[in-house]
Amino acid sequence: MSDTALGPTTEQVWRRMRAPLALFALVLIVVSALVLIRGDRHEGRLDPRSTHPQGSKALAQLLRARGVEVHPVRSAAEAARAIRPDSTLVVPFPNLLADAQLRTLAAAGPARTVLVRPGEAALAILAPGVHTAPDAGRRTLQPRCALPAATRAGDADTGGVRFDTDLLPDATGCYLYAGRPTLVLTPPRASHDTVVLGSAGPLVNDRLDDNGNAALALNLLGAHPHLVWYLPGADELPPADDSLWDLLPAGWRWGAAQLAVAAVLLALWRARRLGPVVTEPLPVVVRAAETVEGRARLYRRARARDTAAELLRAAAREQLARVLGADPSEAALIASITARTDHTTAHVHALLYGANPESDEALVTLSDELDALIRQVRTT
Amino acid sequence: MALTGRAVLAAALGVLVVGLLLPSLIGLAVVEGALLLGILADLLLAAGVRGLTFDRSGDTAVRLGEPAEVTLTVTNPGTRPLRGRLRDAWPPSTGTATQRHELSIPAGERRRLTITMTPTRRGDRNAHRVTVRSVGPLGLAARQGSHHVPWRVRVLPGFPSRRLLPSKLERLRELDGRSALLTRGAGTEFDTLREYVPGDDAKSIDWRASARNQGVVVRTWRPERDRHILVVLDTGRTSAGRIGDIPRLDAAMDATLLLTAVANHAGDRVDLLAYDRRVRAEVRRAPRNGILPAFVQAMATLEPELVEPDARTLTAEILRRTPRRSLVVLITGLEREAVQEGILPVLPQLAARHEVIVAAVADPAITTMAARRGDATAVYEAAAAERELAERRATAAELRRKNVTVVDAPPGELASALTDTYLALKLAGRL
Repeated sequence: MSDTALGPTTEQVWRRMRAPLALFALVLIVVSALVLIRGDRHEGRLDPRSTHPQGSKALAQLLRARGVEVHPVRSAAEAARAIRPDSTLVVPFPNLLADAQLRTLAAAGPARTVLVRPGEAALAILAPGVHTAPDAGRRTLQPRCALPAATRAGDADTGGVRFDTDLLPDATGCYLYAGRPTLVLTPPRASHDTVVLGSAGPLVNDRLDDNGNAALALNLLGAHPHLVWYLPGADELPPADDSLWDLLPAGWRWGAAQLAVAAVLLALWRARRLGPVVTEPLPVVVRAAETVEGRARLYRRARARDTAAELLRAAAREQLARVLGADPSEAALIASITARTDHTTAHVHALLYGANPESDEALVTLSDELDALIRQVRTT
Repeated sequence: MALTGRAVLAAALGVLVVGLLLPSLIGLAVVEGALLLGILADLLLAAGVRGLTFDRSGDTAVRLGEPAEVTLTVTNPGTRPLRGRLRDAWPPSTGTATQRHELSIPAGERRRLTITMTPTRRGDRNAHRVTVRSVGPLGLAARQGSHHVPWRVRVLPGFPSRRLLPSKLERLRELDGRSALLTRGAGTEFDTLREYVPGDDAKSIDWRASARNQGVVVRTWRPERDRHILVVLDTGRTSAGRIGDIPRLDAAMDATLLLTAVANHAGDRVDLLAYDRRVRAEVRRAPRNGILPAFVQAMATLEPELVEPDARTLTAEILRRTPRRSLVVLITGLEREAVQEGILPVLPQLAARHEVIVAAVADPAITTMAARRGDATAVYEAAAAERELAERRATAAELRRKNVTVVDAPPGELASALTDTYLALKLAGRL
């Protein structure tokens, strides 16, 4: 084994990975244990096995204590199989079900069907003639009807969806709010009636001991010795419309999964570098002329025409004195320039020692005239 | 480990298998299982990377701008053939064209790879690491590992003024009287006696020797030999400024090397000192035939430091190194503030004991700026440039008043100008 190798050996990798792996295993064990211990606690709303505040295990236990057989089912077909002529069918989420499933339930023929907050679609199939009316909001209401199940129970938290039973005069409406009932019992048809509840309040663990909730729920659900509690399962749920995905052949879906695997491998292939990026300290990069450029920008921003003009004139004077070999004093310089060119003394003086330019344009002109003068002196 | 494109291709072909033949979880599991098995087999059967041995040879030094070659020998001592890729990683400034190489080494054999580099900066360049990816027999996955195989390439100053050396040596020979032109006579050191020819300076007639001979005899002189020259490179902040894309320091080095080569030929002894706030590099008493390599090695790793040079301690260092009268060549900046607060106060001390040349790298961009005309922006730039130039001239004049020779030239001409100044001083017998 060569000593130039940089990567860790297999043993080193194992040693390094041991602690994280142990930690991961520990987390896995703890999570599994917790899941196993709390396994009976279903989290679902209105689930007869759930101890969650919004679950319905308490009601289910009470019903069992009264000799009612509670039978949770997960699909419409299962419900249809479980329903007997003396069964109560509870549908906590009628709005999640497709028409076909609702019809299956209707055809199964239970003695009573209890619907919780149904929508128009569910009502049309399971309680024809009943319609929804504006929501009453969550509140406790008085029975105010002739239904014994309600009058015995007294006040209950039925406040929720209200119903319109104008088309069904035989129906019993209870717990009225502003003239509309929140609980409706349809007249029995072929020994089959339907209870429509405007709120799930009387059924959940949290509120079962409030007011007459427990009594109302027991009276409504415990009327028959067998209770089918239909909680739609996850695989049954999205039946509303067939999505594009459902219309694809299975081969495409599984092929897409394999394509995703290929994409992950592609990412892994491209992501792996052949060794790390090599870095090195970079040298300082300063342009030598930087300060001069900075000074030029400052001149421009300050509109320092006087300074700029003086600098240009000084440079021109120096150059002229050098070319002429003249004394750089004012008089001598002007004299030797006028001797060589046809410029007047006043003009040369104005150019080399004159007033500062009034504008940027004048400055540019001055610089050009100075250049011209130098050129002229040079050529003569 | 690493995956290959072939593994991705296999997974992509798996789409057809899953989609057309087995559109189910089982189909997915079958394809993934096969892929995983193949990858595991490749990882197990690929030649080991850890056991490879490496050996380097080749250039350890190269002039800036010239190519260097380093050879890497890879030995596969294992029992399985190695197939895959190798990357010999070098820093970016080495300008290594091909860092990646395809590799195929049968078991127990070795292969040689050649890495060609054209460094873009001076200094030491160390090899980073060698990474090998060894692909398994199926070509689905590879083992990967790195090795540290040290090698250092020292990038020496480029010495572009080398091409001027023959013409400068020619001028030196003229001075020295060894040229066919026989322009002897300059210098202060007595050389030979020879017969008078019309045109010789009457002052050089040796009357005593003429009395012993029939004809008139003149003395000839030759330039002094064995003079001491100390070249001082200022590595402070002004040396970092770039002219074109080259730091001032590099131009200074170029000038130093030409001067050293010529002075060495002329029989003078040259020492080097690089200084900002402390000694960065120095060469003392290098052997005559090895003086250029010694200078080049000393200068190779010099970098400009962003500090203000300390002229006082610099003077002390110079005086310590020059016990007898020497030519001190100070290559520094001519920025007014730096000079006035730096070397100007200490120059009299130096100039009293030594002949001093101050050489500076001028920026041709400023001269170009000074000639700019046309609109207000250009004229303001010209004014700022004129100010800089005037300050430089004033600083140079101030230095000259202190009895110092000033050489201010752009990078391309500094080496030539400095060497000419040296030759002129030699001709004038001022060394």
